[in-house]
Parts: sequence; structure tokens; C-alpha cells
Amino acid sequence: MTGLCIAVPNGALLAGACELLAAAGIDGVAASHFDDALLVEIGGHRLIKVRPTDAPVYVQMGAADCGIVGKDMLWETPHDSYELVDLRFGGCRLVLAAPEDSPLAAGTWPPALRVATKYPRSARTFFDRINVTTELIKLHGSVELAPATGLADAILDIVATGRTLRANRLVEVAEAGRSTARFIVNQASLKTRSEAVTALAAGLRRAVTDRAAPRAAEGVA
Amino acid sequence: MQDAPNVEGAGAPRGRAGGFTDWLPGAARRRRTVGDAMIRTFEGWGYGMVATPLIEPLDTVSSGVGAAKQTQLFRFMDADGALLALVGERTVSVARVVATQLRDGPYPLRLCYAGPVLRNQPPLGGRRRENLQAGCELIGAACIAADAECVALAAEALARAGLDGVQVDVGHADFLPGLLEGAGLDAADRDRVLAALSGRDLVAVEEALEGTPIGETERALLLRFPALRGGREILDAAAQGLRAERPRRALAELAQLWDLLMAHGLDGHLHLDLGAVRDWDYYTGPTFELFSGELGFPLGTGGRYDGLLERFGLPLPATGFVLHVDRCCDALARRSGEAAVPLPPALRVAYAAGGEAMAIRAATVLRGPGAAVACDLEPSDAPPPGADLFVDADGGARWWDGKRWADATTAEAVAALAVNGNAGARTAGRQALPAGRPGGGPRG
Repeated sequence: MTGLCIAVPNGALLAGACELLAAAGIDGVAASHFDDALLVEIGGHRLIKVRPTDAPVYVQMGAADCGIVGKDMLWETPHDSYELVDLRFGGCRLVLAAPEDSPLAAGTWPPALRVATKYPRSARTFFDRINVTTELIKLHGSVELAPATGLADAILDIVATGRTLRANRLVEVAEAGRSTARFIVNQASLKTRSEAVTALAAGLRRAVTDRAAPRAAEGVA
Repeated sequence: MQDAPNVEGAGAPRGRAGGFTDWLPGAARRRRTVGDAMIRTFEGWGYGMVATPLIEPLDTVSSGVGAAKQTQLFRFMDADGALLALVGERTVSVARVVATQLRDGPYPLRLCYAGPVLRNQPPLGGRRRENLQAGCELIGAACIAADAECVALAAEALARAGLDGVQVDVGHADFLPGLLEGAGLDAADRDRVLAALSGRDLVAVEEALEGTPIGETERALLLRFPALRGGREILDAAAQGLRAERPRRALAELAQLWDLLMAHGLDGHLHLDLGAVRDWDYYTGPTFELFSGELGFPLGTGGRYDGLLERFGLPLPATGFVLHVDRCCDALARRSGEAAVPLPPALRVAYAAGGEAMAIRAATVLRGPGAAVACDLEPSDAPPPGADLFVDADGGARWWDGKRWADATTAEAVAALAVNGNAGARTAGRQALPAGRPGGGPRG
């Protein structure tokens, strides 16, 4: 089996990604390997740690054969990569949120809406789908500040726990999408290294199912 | 640490638009050689070259493949306000030519082309916005033998261009849509599943299949996507349990195609890929992609497109393919580790003041048999180092025999150099190539 170059995202998804890769057969991979290295060779594979937004780019361009990446990153990056497995961790939601005392929060959609977001492509798709005309304002961070300062009427942002929204007196108005971590593969690697890639995909799928099973059992009990 | 070079003339217009490439001499030579080898191969199989414009009316371009890529066209307005676009691919132009000027055949019509295509993708993505493409169109033949010819010709052209042993993946555009129809999905469900498939999103495929009446056989097949790959044996495995006529016909066509491609000598390089996902609005039959291990993009793609000519008022079956010349150059550069190929060494002709006319004639004679010859632009007092021929003012000459300067008449020296040719030139390696930095330009 030829070794693969696998991109893993730095940050919140790193530990979960390493756990799953280890469970899928890349023995001994742990987040701690990346404490002082960006490139780790293990089990015949090369693992690279990249920024979450960059992971789809590495895979798209074939610099990495495959990678683990949040679905929210794929929304924003046009790509030809194959999305093979829902890894069912790193869950978050893309929501439209407005100040709690605003008409929008009370269910009244203003005729003209200004929305600040880090996710303009996703926002465009969402507002087109629900047929609402908006003026989008692209920001790079701390989107929650936009309504408080009058920059925008609402925000479209990723929410994991909802704590940030509450702290900024914002409430969710609508859900635009749900994201979990995905296993993606470069279009050529899927064909030219198909044995190694499909084996890893199968291992990941198995690991995800094994993980879900005990939890489901708990739920029943 | 070095300081950044201090360039003169800061502020002069020296920028290059993002996503475009300057091909320096050795790299440009490779690019031309690759394109030439492809065209020669096409012509060797009886394909006649057509050259079509770089600019087409927007509505012509819109009739072609990748309607979804409409947003990626460079567009502008003609003097009369009509919308024009730079071509994003050339099959549609060939189809236009066939439907108008070549309407009367003779069919099957074998045409090939080579030329740049442009895509206005956002810069900073590392993708090229201008690409050289070479391709073939085989028009007026509905049989699988025509598809086989295109697959084999594409592989052969890549081999002639220096990329032998590429992997060929063959699929069928009607297999998955036929499978879904045969499984009893209504049009809305089918569209949802096909959209997920063309988004290459298996997770979404699984979601889209929830709540549809799809049977276990078809479901299992679809979810094995894109692992529906292998040799001829997967056709029988896939056909088991499939009762619907449409997907079975696609499988039968692939079996026929497989056998023909064995006759074309593709054994060992061919894979069937039933999960192959292509533009379903455009392709209607067998499709294929060519890959090399070096690159994250296909080197070529093709397939049957029986619906396109009809959009131009000439309902004829057609199949064809395109090869991405620039990606092939990337693959060759990676394979060889060389960003550029060496330029052929040029003989250098120098002369003393008054020997200029004789030197020019000598250079002309030497170029006759095909040698590369560069003639000095100014006289020298003595044979300059690096020259191969030095013409004196009195008709005498000296030529460099590899070790020393030999005296002769100009005619004798020219004859000697012509015999030695460029092999005798000590210029080999002298002309240092301004080699492009590998990985410095956009790709894909």
C-alpha cells in the first residue's frame, strides 16, 4: 500500500481527527505529535497539520491526497474533491442571529437586511434559498460586534454551544446549515491511489460507527 | 540572510495578472513539443485540424459543456452591444463549425484542435486561468467503436507526448441516472441524488436517498460509490439484481468498450469506474478521464455527447476528448525533476570586420540541414571564446574542432561543421537556460 499525504486541521478538530485516524488503522497518531511539528511521518503516511480553511486547498491541489475538514470549510471553498465520510464529530451549525430586541428576532423580516458574515458563499446560497434580499458584509472575525455597532442588522455565523450569541445578546432566527467533520479525497488520488484511500475511508467509517454504537446503547438505557 | 534585491525602476508596470503564466524558453519549448506531439498523433489517426476563434458569442459558448461554469467566463461587449466571451473550452466551437460549414460531412467526421482556453477563476487559488488544450471530436458515429477510438487515441497522444503508462478510467454517464430511474425514484428525488453525486458528496448522497423507495441492490451499489471500480468483472457484479433496461444497457456498452480497448492495447492501464461523476446535462454515454500519479488533476477528459450538435440544429451523435497540455507539462516536470527541457545547442558564427556578408551566408548554409545557428551581431578582432566558426575578412576562416581552432577556407569550415553538426558544437550546455522555478506558477 502506498503511503498517503493526509491533511489534518489545526484547532478544535485536531484531537478528534487524530483519534479517528488512529482508530481507522494509522496506529499511534495523536494530537501531541503536532505540538512542535507540522509534518509527521507515521505508519507509512505523511500527516500535515494545516489551518482548517487551508485543508480543502491542499487536497484540491493534490498537495495532500486526502484530509479531514469541517463541512463549513467546504461551503466556502469551491472544490473538485470527493467527500466520502461524515465523521460525525466537530459538529456546529450555521445560523442567522439578530439582537434579541430586534423586529427580526420577533419574527418580522425587514424589507432590507444587512448581514455580516465570515461565510459569504454560504450566506448567498441560504438567502437565495429562502428568497430574502440581503446586503452581505464580509468580515474576518468577531462578527457578533456588527449588530451592536450598527454595522449590520444580523449576523450569519457558526455556532457550537450558543454561548457567544447569548453573551452578545443575540438570538437565533434561522438555521442555514449543519456541519460536521468530513473525510475528503483529491479527485486524482481517488483514482490513482484508490486502494489506500478506500481502505482508509472504510477504516474511518468503521471507527465512526463503532463510536456511535455505545452511545446509541446508552441512549436506549 | 539576504536583502531583497533592490530593483531599478520601482513602480514601473511590471505586474502579471494572477493565474497567468510566462513560459520561459525551456518550459515553452516543452509545452510546444507536447502540443505538437499530440496534434501529430491526432493527424496520424486521420483527424483534420481546425482552428477556431478565441472569442465566441456568449450564447454559443453557453450551449457547451459546464453550463455551471458560466460564471467563470471572461465576457465583454461587441461594438453593437452583443455579448462575447473568451472560450472556456473548444468543443462547442467545433460543434458550431460542424453544424454550419461542415454540415455535409463526410461522416464520420474526424476533427482535432489545439488552442488556449480561458477561465475567469478567482486568482490566488493557484489555478491557471489560461490553459492550452488539445483535443479531438469524432462526429456522426453512434457506435462504441468510436468511443474506443477516442479513449485509445487520447492515451496514445499522451504517450507520444512523453507521458506513457497513464491510468485510464472509463465510466458511463447514463449508468447512475438509469439506475435511479430503474429504482423507481421520481424526478425530484433523482435530481437531488444526482446533484449530490455531481457535487462528489457521498454524505449528501446518503441523505438524499433517505425516504426514497430505492431497493437494497441499487442502494448498496450507490453507496459503494465511488468504489465501483475495477476490471471487466465489476460489470457482471453490478448487473446482478439490476432489472431495469437502462443501467443494464450502459453496462453492456462498457463491456463492449472494454473488449475494444484491449484490442487497442490498453491492457493494464484501464479501469472501469461506475461511480464516475460527470456533467450529466452534457455527456450521454461512455466517459473517461486520464490520470498520472504525479498530478492531482486529470490530464485529459472525454466522453460521448450526443445532445450538443442538436443545439446547433444538426442532430448527430458525437464523442471526443480534451487533453490539458499545461497539466501534462506539470506532470513531465515532476516526473523528470526538471522545470524545463534544454534548448538545442546553437552553433555560433563570429567574424572579423569585413567578414560579415560571408558569415551570414555561412550561417544560412549551416541552417539548411536543420542546425540551430546564431550569428554574432558585431565583428570581433579574434575568434571569441564560445564561437564555432570565425570568418576572416579575406575569405579565410577558422573552426573549432572541439579542442582547437583549425584553419580552412570558409567553405571547408562550413562543410566540416555541417558534418559534425551540433554534436560537435561546444555550445552544449553553454547557453544556460533561464529555468523557471518549479512550483512558481499556477497549476491545474
